[in-house]
Amino acid sequence: MRVRLPVALLCVAVAAVAAGPALGQAQKGADSDKAMKSVPAKPAAAKATAGSVNAPSAAPHPNGKKGGVLLAMHREDLAQGFSIHETATIATVWPGMPCFNNLVMFDPFKQVESLDSVVPELAERWSWQDNYRNLVLFLRKGVKWHDGTPFTAKDVKYTFDMVRQAPDAQTRLRINPRKDWYANVESIEAADPHTVIFHLKRPQPSLLMMLASGYSPVYPAHVPVNDFRGKCVGTGPYKLKEWKKGEYIEFARNPDYWVPGRPYLDGIRYLIIKERGTRFAALQAGRLDISFPGEATKPIADQLKSSGAKLNFTLIGTNVNDNLIMNIKKPPFDNVKVRRAISLAVDRRAYAKAVHQGGAVAGASMQPKPYGFWGLLEKDLGRLPGYGKPEDNKAQARKILAEAGYGPGKPLQVEMGTRAIALYVDFASFVINELKQVGVEATLKQVETAQWHPLVTRREYQMGANLTGLGIDDPDGNFYENYACGSPRNYTDYCDEQVMKMIETQSQELDLKKRRPLVAQIQNKLEEDAARPIMGWRTDYFPMAPHVKNLVPHHNIYNYGRMQEVWLDK
Amino acid sequence: MRGYITKRLLIAVVTLFGMSIVIFVLMRLAPGNITDIIFESAGYVDQEDKKRLEVELGIDRPLPVQYGAWMRELLSGDLGKSYHYELPAADIIKPRLPVTLELAFLALAFSILLGVPFGVISAIRQDKPLDYVLRVVSLAGLSMPSFWLGMIVILLLVRSFGWIPSVQYVSPFDDLRANLAQFFFPALAVGYRSSALIMRITRSAMLEVLREDYIRTAWAKGQREGPVVWRHALKNASLPVITLIGIEFAFLIGGLIVTETVFNLPGVARYLIDAIQWRDYPIVQNLVMLIAVIVVLANLTVDLLYAWLDPRIKYGRP
Amino acid sequence: MSITRTLDLPTSTDLAPPAGAATVLARFVTRKPLGAAGGVLMLLLMLAAIFADVLATHDPVRTSMHPLVAPGADYWLGTDNLGRDLYSRVVHGARISLAVGVASTLMGAVLGGFIGLLSGYVGGKTDLISQRVMDIMQALPILVLALVLAASLGPSLTNAVIAISIPIIPRAGRVIRASVLSIREFVYIEAARALGVNHLRVAFRHILPNTIGPFIVLITAQLGGAILVEAALSFLGLGIPEPYPSWGRMLSIAAAEYAEKAPWLVIWPGLAISLAVFGTNLLGDALRDTLDPRLRGR
Repeated sequence: MRVRLPVALLCVAVAAVAAGPALGQAQKGADSDKAMKSVPAKPAAAKATAGSVNAPSAAPHPNGKKGGVLLAMHREDLAQGFSIHETATIATVWPGMPCFNNLVMFDPFKQVESLDSVVPELAERWSWQDNYRNLVLFLRKGVKWHDGTPFTAKDVKYTFDMVRQAPDAQTRLRINPRKDWYANVESIEAADPHTVIFHLKRPQPSLLMMLASGYSPVYPAHVPVNDFRGKCVGTGPYKLKEWKKGEYIEFARNPDYWVPGRPYLDGIRYLIIKERGTRFAALQAGRLDISFPGEATKPIADQLKSSGAKLNFTLIGTNVNDNLIMNIKKPPFDNVKVRRAISLAVDRRAYAKAVHQGGAVAGASMQPKPYGFWGLLEKDLGRLPGYGKPEDNKAQARKILAEAGYGPGKPLQVEMGTRAIALYVDFASFVINELKQVGVEATLKQVETAQWHPLVTRREYQMGANLTGLGIDDPDGNFYENYACGSPRNYTDYCDEQVMKMIETQSQELDLKKRRPLVAQIQNKLEEDAARPIMGWRTDYFPMAPHVKNLVPHHNIYNYGRMQEVWLDK
Repeated sequence: MRGYITKRLLIAVVTLFGMSIVIFVLMRLAPGNITDIIFESAGYVDQEDKKRLEVELGIDRPLPVQYGAWMRELLSGDLGKSYHYELPAADIIKPRLPVTLELAFLALAFSILLGVPFGVISAIRQDKPLDYVLRVVSLAGLSMPSFWLGMIVILLLVRSFGWIPSVQYVSPFDDLRANLAQFFFPALAVGYRSSALIMRITRSAMLEVLREDYIRTAWAKGQREGPVVWRHALKNASLPVITLIGIEFAFLIGGLIVTETVFNLPGVARYLIDAIQWRDYPIVQNLVMLIAVIVVLANLTVDLLYAWLDPRIKYGRP
Repeated sequence: MSITRTLDLPTSTDLAPPAGAATVLARFVTRKPLGAAGGVLMLLLMLAAIFADVLATHDPVRTSMHPLVAPGADYWLGTDNLGRDLYSRVVHGARISLAVGVASTLMGAVLGGFIGLLSGYVGGKTDLISQRVMDIMQALPILVLALVLAASLGPSLTNAVIAISIPIIPRAGRVIRASVLSIREFVYIEAARALGVNHLRVAFRHILPNTIGPFIVLITAQLGGAILVEAALSFLGLGIPEPYPSWGRMLSIAAAEYAEKAPWLVIWPGLAISLAVFGTNLLGDALRDTLDPRLRGR
């Protein structure tokens, strides 16, 4: 395995050369790999395995043309302004990212994201020390915030102390959805103005993944956090020009950007179009240059293709899954058998075909291959409830239900809640129809968006059709948030001691070869227990005009919105 | 006459006051509040943080206190602050008003341009094939949901020409042509609908007038069509038509809600839906009051105009 | 009472001259062919609604593995994005949309009518208060009021009916009150009162029957509006929830998204709404002409 390491490094170097001299940061990426190499316990396997899984990236177009305003589709107006740390929605991350930088980020040119595709951003290199207990980040010098204030280690400490709600944090987020990502951080130390050290409680290689997510921008310590709901001060390639409420969000090039020659674009305008049909009619009519992540479903892509509009399509995973949540605290779903019967009844292949017209793939709790890094293999999936032969599965479901005392004379009656949004309703309608075939009488209860989370948080539901988007394709990012005992987003209250232990174990496993089977085991267990049966993983076709260059959609909607490298060939 | 005006004004004030209570209560009855929406985008609800937010926004106070505060603000000309945007509501509403007003005026223009001639022709040709054709065409407009008409228009345009009106609002002061190109189809979709009502009232008013003696005289002289009909009849039929137009204008706003959504026009009508979904009380309450004021004023103006123009109307209670 | 609101509605009652039902019908058909056509249209849709189970070829809520199939022999009007048969959905949609339309119109008209009757007959303070309440209810366009009501009640079938019916109340109330006011002065009413017949009896036995004309006109006029409001609410996601296949909902869910690939998803439900409303409008216009004495004899 060690033998392949230089080969992988070479690949990075080649990619960096291919990107041209302008892509300074990819070269720096190679540098940091060198830095990493000096760490004795470095999991060499990571490099090799990742190299074999990575789908070929779209080759970056070097020497882009300067100028032009990118017209981007936007789904709805900003809910929390530009305060990415206070939201968990693509509708904020996507138009917020151009304003900010992270410490590290996912290589914009690589579709599959993994530890291996993490490249430097505000941290020009990093080093794991003390057997993955301390992460030392060396910050770039000469970086300025949009208001001219210099960027220092203080800003980094400020940001992540705020997010992890450290006792001595300077400020507090009014909503903090990703606190749990940093539960393992003991303290953050600003060693000098350009060095930050994350001290961890136990080894956690995935920390770097979380820092690379679009959800992890660095905030300035000198701007009150509440201001971000109305304006944006970042270090990013674009400065906020105007947020015309309900109409558009416009950015202009940051002339003092720290990457020489970037960005290419004069600006970006995100046009807010609420009606989905109108959005894609606008794209087709050339009134927009690019789609919105996760919006171009298969039927939409098909009809755009057949319309003859000049658009390029990229089939990508979204890292968003449809799942069934069942209230484990209350009967009948406190009985694992009943839950499993429900899971068995829904044919996952039919689901992908019927609800998404093929624009989704079956997979367990981690994004399936080739989009994701950790997904189960096809042969393993087949053994899980709901993935095998539909007739067999349904027969088994009926049998289990009969054992649990439900049958034609006394059918299981449940209420399935979901939001009154087409996306969810279609999903729920399909599941109800599948359940009918095993004798379960499910009725649909639609609630308004404003009611959904309060209802779920109070556990005042029996069963629900739910969507989960994962900020990063990483077991830590997923399991702690959605399956760990006591997590606010663990809507089902699934809590299993054994699973918790397995999650802890895989989290600190440095050897990928050992970590992978552990993660697979967890996935199997979660589906067997029907903790939150996964129906399918959505895919996206991300259409864009052919003149848009260097925008490579990732298999994760949240992490490719920086727009630093994007240019227009017009 | 003065007594009558005073009385009508008094009624208008009472109506608006009542409306303010109705909308205030309805919004509080609606499940969830802005804090739920804020947490919605975070994917969980933290009861403590939620409580803190409610205190911050003042929606934890007793309802009468909240209502009193709103009334005080409203009477001092302050529209409060949008919960969602955290900006003065006036700053949010003001730039959207011209969009809705332009759309409403253009739609009204279309409905008059279609409705009045259709009505006149239809009356002259009463019970002739042309009369039936015009009535069917105009009633068809009244029967189609305007959002559906909008969808069909967009579908047809994009299918046949690969073109749709701009999805980004163009101010008429920046580029009048682009602005008109953008407003043409939505205004037509809404205007076509209203034209049926205007045609109907024009037709029946015309029929009434055509039976008057002087028109009959004109007919007897062989001047069945032409200037006579247009000059005399239309002049006399104009009163009810104007009345209807006044009322229609206020009621067009209802039709604009869905049309603005379909055509992505950033007007107040579309914004009302957003604000309702966000439970942005200050915006919903003030927007609804604004609409109510427009409706009440339109009614008032029409009633007063009518009382003033038509000597047969007594100023007191009918 | 302001004049303007009664402009296109009759202010007094005068039913068709006494004649056999068949004769009346025949005369109506010959003199008002458009109205008759509207009546037939409505009748057909009502029949479709009643016999939806028989007419439908598929289960309207059952999903299949044949999404977005073009209209053909198996699926007469094609299928939607979940593979549900559109023809069956449109037929069942008639049941839902018409039921909601009729229920909310009747509810609004009866409630409003009752208030109008009371306030017109009793007069005085009752009249004054009810008039002011009606003013308030009429201070918003129908759709705006229905929208606010629907949002505040939450999405359900019953709530949709309530939200749509409430804006109808004041409109019904005004019409009935106006005709009561004009009838009240009639000689035979005075005679009845003079004979000592009690108020309730006079109101219900003598006045109520005479308001039936405007009442019918009112219902047909409001029915179309109610169907449209339902469609708009459902389109905005505030109307009738799934699984009920309402026409407006059908337009909101998949139609806009798949419009180009599957235009039938936009065309048929929209056409169904338009036809239903068209029918009520044609019939309503003709009835207005027939039942409104001011327009009689033209």
